[in-house]
Formats: sequence, C-alpha cells, structure tokens
Amino acid sequence: MDNREARFILSAYRPGGQDASDPRFAEALDQVRRDPILEQWFRDSLTFDTAMTDKLRAMTTPTDLRENILAGLKISRVSDWKSRLAKWAIAAALILSAALGSLIWHNTRPTRLADWQTQALDVISSLVRNESSFDSQSNQPAELIAWLRVNHAPAAQKLPDNLNKLASLGCKTFSSNGISVSVICFMRPDGGLIHLITTNAPAPSARPLKTTPKSAQQGEWATATWREGDRIYMLALEGSRDQLQSYLL
Amino acid sequence: MKKNDFEQLVDRQYAALFRFALSLSKSEAEAADLTQQTFFLWASKGHQLRDRSKAKSWLFTTLYREFLGRRRHEGRFPKVELDEVGEEEMSILPNVNALDSATLLQALREVEELFRAPVTLFYLEQFSYQEIADVLEVPIGTVMSRLSRGKAQLRQRLLSKEEALGNKIVSFQSERKEKGHG
Repeated sequence: MDNREARFILSAYRPGGQDASDPRFAEALDQVRRDPILEQWFRDSLTFDTAMTDKLRAMTTPTDLRENILAGLKISRVSDWKSRLAKWAIAAALILSAALGSLIWHNTRPTRLADWQTQALDVISSLVRNESSFDSQSNQPAELIAWLRVNHAPAAQKLPDNLNKLASLGCKTFSSNGISVSVICFMRPDGGLIHLITTNAPAPSARPLKTTPKSAQQGEWATATWREGDRIYMLALEGSRDQLQSYLL
Repeated sequence: MKKNDFEQLVDRQYAALFRFALSLSKSEAEAADLTQQTFFLWASKGHQLRDRSKAKSWLFTTLYREFLGRRRHEGRFPKVELDEVGEEEMSILPNVNALDSATLLQALREVEELFRAPVTLFYLEQFSYQEIADVLEVPIGTVMSRLSRGKAQLRQRLLSKEEALGNKIVSFQSERKEKGHG
C-alpha cells in the first residue's frame, strides 16, 4: 500500500476514533505509523475533519421546524391519501372483480374474517400506504355519517361512545360482491388510527350475527364485529384486541 | 407508533436531518420541507420497519431518496464528473476555524451532488462508511471513493473562499518532500 492509497482509505476514517479497530483501516494505519509524512497528513486531516464536524453541527435549525413537523402529521396523512385517488380506483376495480363468492354471514366464523371484512382491511391498508384517498374528509364524524347517508352508503345509526369522542379523518365506500360497505377512519389519542366499517345486514341466515361484539385477530389487525338492527359493524385497528376493547364501550 | 415515540424520534433526529437536507438543497425552505416530508413518510410507512434500531438510517435514506426524486422530477440531476483527485488537493488544507458555518455550508453546497451526500453524512453525523453505504444504498468502495473525492472538492472550495477572504492558507511543508520521493 502506498501513501496515496492509504490516504484514499483514510478519507473514510472518522476523527472520533470509532474506527480505530476496524480491520479495513488496519493496513492504512500501519502505513501512517511507518511514514512520518503520511502521519502528519493524517493528523492534520483529522483536525480538519473535527473542525468541519463542529462547524456543521453548530448550524442552527428553524425555530418552528419541530412544531411544524408534529402539527403537520395529521394533515400529511390526509392529504397524501387524497392524491392517490386514481390509483385507488384502478386497484379497487381489480380487487373487486377478483373477489367472488364472499358471503356476509361467513363473519360468524371465530378466527376467519369474511371477504368483505378482509377487503375492508385491504382498503384501509391502501389508505395508510397512501395508495388511495378518502371519498370525503372531515374531522367531525357526524359530517361523514351525513355524507354517507346522502350518498346512500351504509352509515352507522349510533357510534360507540368512546369512538364518538375521537376526531375523524375521512370516509370511503366500496362494494363487495354487490354489497355496499363504508369505512370511517378515526385518529386515536396515541397517534394511531381506528376504523369503523359498516355494511347492511343480509337477509336472516342460519348463522345470524350476535349483537355482542365478537373479536378476532388477523395478523396485525384486531377486529370486533357485531350486528345492530339492520347494520353490521366492524371496528378495526392495527394492534391488540385489548387496545380495541376500550373503543367498544 | 405511539405519539410519544414519534415525538421522541422527531426530537432526536430532526436537527440532523434538516442539516443534511440543507447541504443537499438550495434553500432553507426546501430543506425544512424535505425534513417534514421525511417524518410524514415515517408516520405513514415507518411501521413497516421491523428493526426499530434502524429508524435513523431509514430517515436519512428516505430524505435522500426524496431529494433525488425531486431532482429527477425537475430534470436537474447533475452530470457527474469523475476526475482524478489531484495530489495538490490532498495536501493543502484550509483553516476551517477561520470560516463561519454559512461559508462552510456554501462550500459544501458547491461540492458535486454525488459526493455531497456522503461527505455531509460523514461530518454531520459521523456516520461510518458502512452506515453511509446503507443510507445511500451503494457499495462500501463507492462510499470511500466518493468521500475521498468529495472531501477533496470541499477543500478546494474552502481554499477558494479562504483566498477570497484573505485568510492564510495552511499547507504542509512536508508535502513537497513527499512529492520529491514520488
């Protein structure tokens, strides 16, 4: 190894000494010990690097940057979703055309969600990944419910009390095998999201849904499903059933 | 991610991310926007990162990708010159302490974009070559090459500014001897 090669490698050597035992630098450091000229260059180089680090770290940041980041979080979630409407339309068409044979009463199975429920989780995931957007946006759940009713989409008759206290982000509707489904997304106090999915109840079947919420865990999703009047509701969040439980009250 | 976790991450990383963005972008406003956008992306996609210890690297990578994406969109991605670093550039060092942060930042911004990111990560966060390779998604050898060239360019720019300001240039007397040896 000549001095030029040693200097090339030592350009990546950090001035704080964190790399002293890194074998990739060993030969170059040996060369430094052998050659006083290279040693002088290395010493000056470390001084230069240290001064650069100190100076760059002394640069000030805008005083309101931190607050803007935190304040913009909610806005970002909503606005990013909105920009993906076209993609969602295509994706939803593909998903729905491929989803055949789902039956609403299948959701009575204890550990397996019905197709409309799985599709609802897909729709929500799509929103979270910024691949689709809300049909309507408001931080007032009542306004979203009103929008759903005006548009003849399934709308909750009454929200669980603890859910009603949360700010909403928006709602979205989709169709699963000809059955209308709606989703309303809420912002939880801890910064996470929780979603209420509503659909019209089918004709009475041999295995009717109970009015008591029935919980299930599917991957990262915790869900609770119940029937109330002519509506079927599913509450869902990415987390545990325990986290979900408090919103069913 | 819990709200408090998010705030803690912002508190730990926003200043360093902003400075990184500032070195890449053309203005403070663009740097602030890049920083905010990075955290918003974290808020929506960060949960996909299984290893939380890599959050810092994820943030820097994401900011850099976002920056490159915007540059490509604007059609301003620069032509990369891979000239050899001159021996003289390696042997003369500017007196950094005689320059203020604004001048250093200006010099850093004048370094070619390809080399600027690794140099900034090296100085700003004292990232190792491996960490820089992870953030920029390039091989280690490329990182070392870009660091070497980027630092040489930075020194050149600083020397020019020093000369313009009339500051004394610090050179190594011993370099001439070394050159004499070949």
